[in-house]
Amino acid sequence: MNPKFIAAMSWYYGFSTLKRSYSYVIVSLMMPLTILFIVYIISHGAIIEYAVLGGFIIMIASNSLSSAGDAAFMRLQLRIQDLFVDTSITPMDYMLALTISYAAFALPGLAIFAVMGIVLKMFTILNVLLLIAILIMLLVSSSAISFIISSRVKHVRNVWGISAIISTLLTMIPPTFYPYTYLPKIALYILALSPATPAAVLAQGYFGLAPKMLSMLGVLMAEVVIYMVIARYFVRWRES
Amino acid sequence: MLNVICGDSMIRIKGLKKDYGKVHALKGIDLTLKGRITAIIGRNGAGKTTLMRILSTQLMPTEGTAEIDGHDVIKDTGWLRKTIVSIPQEASPISVLTPYEQIKLYLIAKGMDARSASERTKRALKVMSMSDAANMPADELSGGMKRKVFVAMALAYNSAITFMDEPTTGLDPISRLEVWSAIKKLNGSVIITTHYMEEAQDLADDVVMVESGKVLEHGSVKDLLSKFNGKIRIESTSRRGAYNVGGLGISYVGVGKADAYLKKGYTARQITLEDLFIVNGVYLES
Ligand SMILES: Nc1ncnc2c1ncn2[C@@H]1O[C@H](COP(=O)(O)OP(=O)(O)OP(=O)(O)O)[C@@H](O)[C@H]1O
Ligand SMILES: [Mg+2]
Repeated sequence: MNPKFIAAMSWYYGFSTLKRSYSYVIVSLMMPLTILFIVYIISHGAIIEYAVLGGFIIMIASNSLSSAGDAAFMRLQLRIQDLFVDTSITPMDYMLALTISYAAFALPGLAIFAVMGIVLKMFTILNVLLLIAILIMLLVSSSAISFIISSRVKHVRNVWGISAIISTLLTMIPPTFYPYTYLPKIALYILALSPATPAAVLAQGYFGLAPKMLSMLGVLMAEVVIYMVIARYFVRWRES
Repeated sequence: MLNVICGDSMIRIKGLKKDYGKVHALKGIDLTLKGRITAIIGRNGAGKTTLMRILSTQLMPTEGTAEIDGHDVIKDTGWLRKTIVSIPQEASPISVLTPYEQIKLYLIAKGMDARSASERTKRALKVMSMSDAANMPADELSGGMKRKVFVAMALAYNSAITFMDEPTTGLDPISRLEVWSAIKKLNGSVIITTHYMEEAQDLADDVVMVESGKVLEHGSVKDLLSKFNGKIRIESTSRRGAYNVGGLGISYVGVGKADAYLKKGYTARQITLEDLFIVNGVYLES
């Protein structure tokens, strides 16, 4: 474990990107804001709170998942991973550093949804703390999924397509911006494979927007562990 | 830029093979390297990068072993990964990071504290005449400058063993000299690959020629060229020679006979490592 590396990498990579690459920030904001807008129009504002909560979840999940493209690009094209193989850092350090970087990419979006939440008077101290805990678990588990995907990609030409497909599937279909109660139970269980689902269900429960479903806490925690273990197993550190 | 161990490392390679699916990239390499600067030469696809990546623990061999200073590259990676610096052929800096950030980050990953990482980075960038570009995001650098970032990185760490895969490809003449001088400044052993014969000749104590996954020749430049002692190369575009390469007829004749050939319209050339490729039949037309 090399905490200095993790801090330096996430600072330089995460925060420098925010500073030097505005378009990236705007692109990552577009999807949740567009959905928010559509939900507002279609429901005449009725389920706007769901879409605001969903905004937090989509920001974290889609940034982490689309990072699969980045990680594969760095390995296959820039050869940055090869460079880091010959250092004292572990695959875990590298994954963690990238994970925190992707959280940094999500910050501007999170700030916008936080302002909306304040305007809509959604927050209490307790539910804010719970939301933060949920988002951290979501960040770790969806980053782990993105490492699993990126480690399976063999050619740079497939990188962006695959990660965009996965990111859309795993963040847009789960009940991120509509009440999870709209879903039949069986669909909910299948969608729970994506950590965005338990995260959204828990958040809706804690914010009093839907009945609490505490079993989803177990699901989310299990996904954090399971996806991390799989990612650690699959990550290609030395190429074979 | 003082650092760690001075002197030469010993690399022993035994029966090393690498297959990529059906492609046999290395077909059994046996080699002991102990020169301070070793140059690996060979045509595109000869297997140079594959060999470099296996030695620097980035790639698993299919068969065989290699050890560096007694450390097995397959099982004993801990010491190797802390020690060696290996610059990949296609390495390119992350576009949003500046050369300064990129190198400093690498040194931190190597286990240095932030302050000495920062000092060494600045010094190395200065040596490579890159101080002006130090704080430019990498996607604003030219192709050659991007390559130099990685040479500066190797220089900043100054390892006991440095691998550089084609460090001078695409560099202007002055930058190439800067890279040569940086390589000479490194305290430990350096293994480079190159397509420039004069580079191998001027820089390396030891030259390894690889072709189709096998070692064709290995030795000091002097030893390798000794078979040409007393000879000169004569060539002609209009006549066939002992070797015919790309429309050029090439022969090797005693220095005494050179004048006669020159009168017949041949051109004379000094012997270089390139001639090793020619007499080994690597370039021959079928
Ligand atoms: N990842 C890979 N998958 C499949 N084949 C590969 C891969 N990497 C290399 N090869 C093949 O292995 C052989 C050796 O390639 P290598 O990159 O080691 O050559 P090289 O000597 O470094 O060439 P160059 O001078 O062009 O850099 C080539 O035939 C190449 O096509
Ligand atoms: Mg190569």
